[in-house]
Order: sequence, then C-alpha cells, then structure tokens
Amino acid sequence: MSRWLLLLLLTLLAGCAGMAKVGPGEVTVRDSLAVTLDGAWNQHAIGLTRKSEVWTLDGLPLDRLVFFVGIADGEALAELAQRKDRQIPKFRASMQAHEVVEMYEVFATHDGSSFQRLQLAPARFAGGDGFRFEFSRVRKADELEMRGIGYGAVRAGKLYLLIFEAARSHYYARNVGRFEAVVQSVRIRG
Amino acid sequence: MERRRFVNGCVCCGLLASASTLLAASQAVLPARLDRPEPGSDEGGLWSLLTREEERLQRSRFLLRDEALNAYVSGLACRLAGEHCPDIRVYIVRSPFFNASMAPNGMLQVWTGLLLRMENEAQLAAVLGHEIGHYVGRHSLEQLRDAKSRTALGQFLGMAFGAAGVGAAGSLAQLALLAGMFAYSREHEREADRIGQELVAAAGYPPIEAARVWQQLVAELKAEAEWSGDAGSRSIFFASHPDPEERSQLMASRATTMNGDRGDVASAPYARQIRGHRRQWLEDELRRRKAGETIALCERLLRQSDDGESRFFLGEAYRLRGGDGDGARALAEYALAESRSDCPPEMYRSRGLLQRQAGETAAASASFSRYLALRPAADDAEMIRSYLQEGR
Repeated sequence: MSRWLLLLLLTLLAGCAGMAKVGPGEVTVRDSLAVTLDGAWNQHAIGLTRKSEVWTLDGLPLDRLVFFVGIADGEALAELAQRKDRQIPKFRASMQAHEVVEMYEVFATHDGSSFQRLQLAPARFAGGDGFRFEFSRVRKADELEMRGIGYGAVRAGKLYLLIFEAARSHYYARNVGRFEAVVQSVRIRG
Repeated sequence: MERRRFVNGCVCCGLLASASTLLAASQAVLPARLDRPEPGSDEGGLWSLLTREEERLQRSRFLLRDEALNAYVSGLACRLAGEHCPDIRVYIVRSPFFNASMAPNGMLQVWTGLLLRMENEAQLAAVLGHEIGHYVGRHSLEQLRDAKSRTALGQFLGMAFGAAGVGAAGSLAQLALLAGMFAYSREHEREADRIGQELVAAAGYPPIEAARVWQQLVAELKAEAEWSGDAGSRSIFFASHPDPEERSQLMASRATTMNGDRGDVASAPYARQIRGHRRQWLEDELRRRKAGETIALCERLLRQSDDGESRFFLGEAYRLRGGDGDGARALAEYALAESRSDCPPEMYRSRGLLQRQAGETAAASASFSRYLALRPAADDAEMIRSYLQEGR
C-alpha cells in the first residue's frame, strides 16, 4: 500500500523537478553527442541514466525527447530499478535495427502501456547509416494516446538512439518538426 | 442460513453433475441474490466509488471490445452464476499477466494473459467460478470490516479525492490500491476455491481442471525461477493468492470426491474463441521478457496443438532470450513452424535476422525475400529491402 503512495509522491515530485533551458546554438549531450538547436528546449535535471538525457518543449506529460548516447555492449537503455522481476534486455553491439526496436519496446511497455510499431526504414543519422522508426503507444497511467518517432545507429559498437514521443492530438504534429531538426544536426563526438 | 444453503448446495452438486440444466445447478450451489447495500453505510460508500471506477473501466482503451469473445466469457460467467448473472459484469482487459479480480459490486475483470493460459473452457469456468465465489461470499465486504482495511480505505478515499486534479494518478493506481485492500484471507481463498470447483462440477465440467489451472501456473513460475535464478519473482495473482501448490493439491483431492475427471473439458470451443486473439496475446507475452515462463507456456501450448503459430512463438522466446545456443534452438523451432499450419509470415523475417547476424548472407536473403513476398506491405518492408541490397 505504502509503495503506491510513495510512487504517487515521487510522480508528483518528479513533475516539480528542475528544468534547465538549453539552446539555441550548439549543445553537448553527455559529452558524447553534439546538436545544433535553432530554438530552446527544456532539459530535465535528472536523466534516466548517466548515458541519457530527457528534454521537452511543452512539458513532460505532453512531449519528450530522450537521448540514449553511447550505450555499450552489455548495457541496458535504463535500469528499471523497481522491476527486478524481469529480464532487462541488454544492448549487444551485433544488434540489427529490428532488435534495437524490440529492446526499446520492452522499455516502452514496462508499465503496461501498449506499443505498436508503425514503420521501420533505413535512414541517414549522425553522418552515416542508421534507421528510423515510428510507433504509437497508449500510456497506461492516463491512457493518453501517444505518437513516437526514433532514430538510431550503432557506431564503433555503441548505440546512439533518439526518441521523440508526444500526445497524438496536437502536440506530436506541433513539435515533431523541431525534433527532426535536432536529428539533422546530430554529430557524434570523439 | 446462508451457510446452510451453501452446504446443502454442496451435497446436491454431486447429484446434479450429470444434469445440463446449469441454472438449476448453480442455484443449488450459490446463495440467493445479494441486495445492494444502503447508500449511507460503509459498504454503500464503497459501492458508489466502485460504480465510478467501473465507468472509467468501461471507457478504458485497454478493454478488449471484441463482441464474440465478450459474449462467450460473459455467457460462461452467467451460466455459472445462475440467478446472480444480472449482478455480475465481465470486462476483458488487455494485459499479459495471469490475473482475474472481482469487486464487491460485481465488476469482474479477466486479463488476457489469463485467457492465453487456459487450456479449455473448464479451466476458465474454474477461474470465473472462483471469482464468483468471492462475490457471493461477500469476501471483500468482510475484509472491509477488518481494521487494517478500513485504514486502507481511508487512504484510498483520500487519494481518490486529493488527487482529483492530477491526471497522471489515474484510475489504475487507484485500482491497484483497491486490489491490495481486497487481498483476501486464506480462508476466503479456500472458500472461493471450493465454490468455484462446485460450480465447475455442477456445470458438467471435470472438477480436476480447477486444480490443473494452478498446477500449470506453478510449473511456469518454477521454469522461470530455474532459468533466471530468481525465486522471488511472483505473479501478480500470487501476490494476493497464497500457496498455489497447497491449494492445487486440496482441489485435486476434492475433485476425487466429486466427479473427478469425468465431463467434457470443452477444449475445441475454447480454442475456437481465442484463435483470432492468441497471436496478439503471445506478442504481448514476449514483451514481458520472462523467457522461462514464456518457453514453459509455449511448450504447453504445443502439447495441446502442435501448430506453426505456437512453434514460431517458442522460437521467438529463444531468439529474444539470446543465451548460449538459443539462436540454434530458435532456428530449429522456425523450421518446425514452417512445416506446420498457421505459421506466421514473420517467421521468415526472424529467421532472416538470425541468419544475417551469423553472416549467412544467401540464406538470409532467401528468408527475407520470402517474408516480403508474403507481407509486401509490411511496415518494415523498406528496412528488409535494405538488408537484401547489402546481400547483392
């Protein structure tokens, strides 16, 4: 019982956690990726892990851009700390685009949300070959229908993955162009 | 009085087992219809709250709205519940876990992960009968009288109203809290088991199937524990339902005093009803990433019916687990799937991915080409074509 109350409290607190403005101009993400922004984004103070960052334009419940940068072989996208009861898929350097999306699906559905991949195709990303996928998701907590788009590539055995997700009505169409602009500017550092 | 009626019902059910007049059968097992509690009472307050929760559930995007399946499950619950039928409403919820729950107002939820795991109509009847047992026994309301639960109810009400302006604290968190509040006592579980089994027998199904539901689930959980070394992993259902092995043994021995394994388990009608949904449920199952459980489940499905779909999903469980030798195991299952009916075209894509990863370019190209021929408009066709390009 108390676990649920704690969870609720954390959710509420998370909503109040600090945001910092990033951009316009060149911004570095976790020292391993650089993007050039034509406008400002809001960076959430706490990433999911040391190798991720979470940004938003209109606020986290409505849209979010998650950067996963330099995930090495054997590492997970994020440790789902409360979910020790399941096997968290780990990234393997030999993973193909389909398998990266399958790995992401596990994270997108760990809270009971539904996930439907809508498209998967090759795409230029971070100055080389990569892939692009689109998906829809019904978020379990509030049953809001989300639309999402992701770009990914494996470079020198490490995964770089950018996911943008927003409420299907209004916010996705309004902000997806800004996300595409971020993707076009991505450069992997070092 | 209520207890005496129930005991009388138990005596009668052996005689009624061969009768197909189910309404009469359940009337013999179950007490009379329950009245809605007074609005001013604790129970009445809870009832109003649950009515609102039920309205939310009715709008949920996670409800499975397929008319035929709903009619089938509701129809079965109705036949078991007899005169209580108008008071019980069944909701099928899309979730890959084994779970069913009954609220005191007659809102009965059945999750798709449970439907996927039932081997036949008799087993589903056992689960529904168990939940109907909680309802007619008014177990939730007895729990409510318990001091600890009253505190929980206070918390629940505070949360429901305090969080009214918070969209993210949706009905599910509240429902989970409710589920915790209505964690039944051992005694209640045993009584619900007994009523469920009586109803199964009275409806003409073999009562041993009630014990098999739990045996199967225990076997799945053990397979997971053996594989992952995580004995602490429990199903959501078991978190509130203690000692499945003990209960299973109790039901198995009780079955011998009833009509044991005599009766029709109704496998074929059940398989027909879930056929159109099973694939989606198995896809949801894979996303749980509980390879041990999924493999045990698929192996059991295969013992029932060795079809291409079950073979494919067993292969998928190995491929996604990705341990030593799992690639070869997956390929072996895909080969068997290919030679059987109902093999999903996606098998060729999965096989192609494993072959491509192993550097078997020509074999991978053949698999991918076959996939595209069968699914020319697939959402990943462009990606697959790019794999084919590099093979040239």
